[in-house]
Amino acid sequence: MRPTAIESLRAAQAALAELIAPELASAFALDAAQTVQMLLESLASEWDTAAETLSRDNETLSSLLSASGEALTGAPSRNESVAPIVSQIERLRDDRASSLVLSDLASRNGSLRAALESVLVAFEELTGRPGSEMIDEVRNRIYNHLREEAAGGWSFWDVSSFRGRMAALQPPPS
Amino acid sequence: MIGREGGIYNPHAGPVAQGQSVRLITGWFQVRILAGPPFLRGLIMLQERIEEYLSAKIGADSVAVSHLQRIPGGASRETWSFDATWRENGNEVERGFVLRRDPDASLLETERDLEFRVMDALAGHGVPVPKMYWLESEGAFLDRPFFVMERIDGCETSPTKVLMDPRFFVVRALLAERFVAILACIHSLDWRASGLDFLGAPADEAGCGLMEIEKWEGVVDRDALEPQPVLRAAFRWMRRHPPPPAQRIVLVHADYRTGNFLCDSEGAIRGILDWEMVHLGDPMEDVAWACIRPWRWLGDESIGGLIEREQFYKRYEKASGFTVVPEAIRFWELLGNAKLAAIFLTGARSFCEGRTRSPMMAFLGRNIARLELEIMDLMGV
Repeated sequence: MRPTAIESLRAAQAALAELIAPELASAFALDAAQTVQMLLESLASEWDTAAETLSRDNETLSSLLSASGEALTGAPSRNESVAPIVSQIERLRDDRASSLVLSDLASRNGSLRAALESVLVAFEELTGRPGSEMIDEVRNRIYNHLREEAAGGWSFWDVSSFRGRMAALQPPPS
Repeated sequence: MIGREGGIYNPHAGPVAQGQSVRLITGWFQVRILAGPPFLRGLIMLQERIEEYLSAKIGADSVAVSHLQRIPGGASRETWSFDATWRENGNEVERGFVLRRDPDASLLETERDLEFRVMDALAGHGVPVPKMYWLESEGAFLDRPFFVMERIDGCETSPTKVLMDPRFFVVRALLAERFVAILACIHSLDWRASGLDFLGAPADEAGCGLMEIEKWEGVVDRDALEPQPVLRAAFRWMRRHPPPPAQRIVLVHADYRTGNFLCDSEGAIRGILDWEMVHLGDPMEDVAWACIRPWRWLGDESIGGLIEREQFYKRYEKASGFTVVPEAIRFWELLGNAKLAAIFLTGARSFCEGRTRSPMMAFLGRNIARLELEIMDLMGV
């Protein structure tokens, strides 16, 4: 059985930590080695689930965008900027891909997030106004999803500045 | 695998004749490999060129440079430390210098002239800064623009050292006190009298927030390689929720935090560094920047790992005469996180376009998610 991608990344990390770093004399080189170590850690942490994570994100984004299109169409105070956003959402609905190749999934994710970007900017203008209940409800769902995404994966911040913040997000032990 | 002296390093074909070159294709990068150990050769060449430069500047016949080494951190410019010795009036003089050179690509596209002029102007005004020696705005001497300043020895800047080395535990309260006092000192500086008008003041006190929104939203426009829904929504939110007008337009360091000062184990702060984002604006911008979560290195709520927020505000108010307005701090903390994300996007673009091979640029570009989380917390969504 050949080593998996993650096992190979771990081997590179081990070599960097145990063989290469001790031989480095300059502070600058050591700093670079530490950065590479963390870069490898971030790759290893997402490797196995990258396709699933992207695929799931794409599904959720598609669903949120559909709801956003409906909310924007029904918004009482919509302006002329709304129509192009609704069209953008409709085009994406017809452009579903089934490929599990990471670059394809990432490309689809980029298109969906571009539409979400327009939606959120419009929502920030429309939220809190009379009759915007549907906008507010979808806006909350979008932010909940974005928060879940932003809190996922591994980040170097988690071992220092965000340690307490991330611990607060963990479910209490049962 | 380094070729013998005069040969060329080629991992695939072995040494080839001097004067030729090969191209090693590494991912997106095409790296030209020349004769000899590249890093060492480059270091020696740089050392010789610095010696020539200093000889011309100091007016001494022979300046010897030693212990030339690149210092980690300060990702917006290359930072080099070295010792120089020369003879002056029959005596041997030895001095430590720091050279800050523009990189090929950076986290920040900033003017080194501005940084140099501000640091130079601050000398003698109670803000500890290294003495500034020479500024070269062209690449004639060392290929790229650079400046040379005094090296302050016996100090630490790294937050890990300053906050976790037991030598600094006993002086943490003193460091916190100095940290606040120096910030108040920067904000009390008469920038007109100090000749810093060239920084360009906002139109009025109410315009400080918008000026920074436009600056950093412009960076996202220019450098984002992917859609940024959270950042875009945050900028829109900030436009709808501007901060109260600044109490006065002051000199804003714009990167004032643990990690950007030189301190010793006696608790003295001997140098405030990294002035590349300095501008005129709202003092609350600096107060909030010092508070943002990324600089709370200990992972708790203490500001900069040094002081509780309430104490920080109280001491700052007492030292500066300004009132810390929570509404303003919320806006400026949000702006600060968005600004940091924008800076990371600049680094990511530099990396992806092949203008740098720095692993730091790749790494930071993959790490804005937690900043987004903080931004959404501050927006209250």
